[in-house]
Amino acid sequence: MALRELSSLEKFLGLKKPHKYSTQGVKKVPLLQSNNGPALVGLATIASHLAKEAKKPELLGTTPEQRAVVQQWLEFRVTRIDECPREEIRTVLKDLNQYLEDKVYLAGNSLSIADPLLYYAIHHIVVDLAVQEKERYMNLTRWFDHIQHYPGVRHHLAPVVVLRNRVYTSCHH
Amino acid sequence: MGFGDLKSPAGLKVLNDFLADRSYIEGYVPSQADISVFEALSAAPSSSLCHALRWYNHIKSYQKEKGSLPGVKKALGQYGPAGVEDTTSAGGDAADDDDDDIDLFGSDEEEESEEAKKIKEERLAAYNAKKAKKPALIAKSSILLDVKPWDDETDMVKMEESVRSVQLDGLVWGQSKLVPVGYGIKKLQIACVVEDDKVGTDQLEELITAFEDYVQSVDVAAFNKI
Repeated sequence: MALRELSSLEKFLGLKKPHKYSTQGVKKVPLLQSNNGPALVGLATIASHLAKEAKKPELLGTTPEQRAVVQQWLEFRVTRIDECPREEIRTVLKDLNQYLEDKVYLAGNSLSIADPLLYYAIHHIVVDLAVQEKERYMNLTRWFDHIQHYPGVRHHLAPVVVLRNRVYTSCHH
Repeated sequence: MGFGDLKSPAGLKVLNDFLADRSYIEGYVPSQADISVFEALSAAPSSSLCHALRWYNHIKSYQKEKGSLPGVKKALGQYGPAGVEDTTSAGGDAADDDDDDIDLFGSDEEEESEEAKKIKEERLAAYNAKKAKKPALIAKSSILLDVKPWDDETDMVKMEESVRSVQLDGLVWGQSKLVPVGYGIKKLQIACVVEDDKVGTDQLEELITAFEDYVQSVDVAAFNKI
């Protein structure tokens, strides 16, 4: 899963030469062997490295605060979502929804590397959500729909249809 | 299309609902559409309209790139959820002046709808005038009632008086005569003209049979439409 994400990310970043990845350990942590230097292990690390390699450092955040937020969300993704047990999913979605209430992108006012990576991570959850739940996590749904339409982000994943259903609008303010 | 009056709370609410599942007014990137709507707002939306406020703050951050955003500015009435009434033609404030030059589609539609409105009103007035003439042709009927007394002792004069005392809107009593039935008993045959909408024969019969002292029964002898 993580490897497919990384290749989609490469395409998004416009990197011409795809890297060769391998995985390490039981949990299949992605590993990137670079020619000159130690291997890079971990999704967040590799993603940040790719952004710099593609000469798009703005995707990591322009201000220090924004950079910190981007890293926070990369970490969030790896720790809270990738291994998430079923019971915890609701809490995670609720937290995300609350956070996204007054934000268009995860970090600041422009797309960062955190947005597509989080999108890849929760795609399989959102794809299974019922319409009622999508309404309940309205902000999350809105952000999700926005990111999946961003040019270059959605490659290997199926688009999730987002439809407003007036019956359930009383669930949120 | 349109959000209604964006300077009013109702319009802002429409905008808020519209932006609940959308990041931008049109499509998935900021465009001139967002700038048009942004400029129509007089101030930042209140924090109770969380989606509108989010969008507002986000678009504010694009202030420097206003001119370079994609798209063409259209009249406010072109954006927003379908089914909301376009009040920008009635609104007529400073925001419209900016759009006049580029307002290729907006102004045509507004003119059309005003013309269409005029035609509709004329037609309605003509229809109402026609309807007003109708009352001249009210449906009327001429009814002949047979009122029968208990026996030959019944005072027929009193009976007629009581029958004629029945006054209803749309009821006009006419001629009456006494017709002998047999054994000295006479029945009162009385004619009346009624307006069909206002008086019915059941009503008449009930009222007349109420005079139990004199009236044994009432029948409709004849019923003619005038």
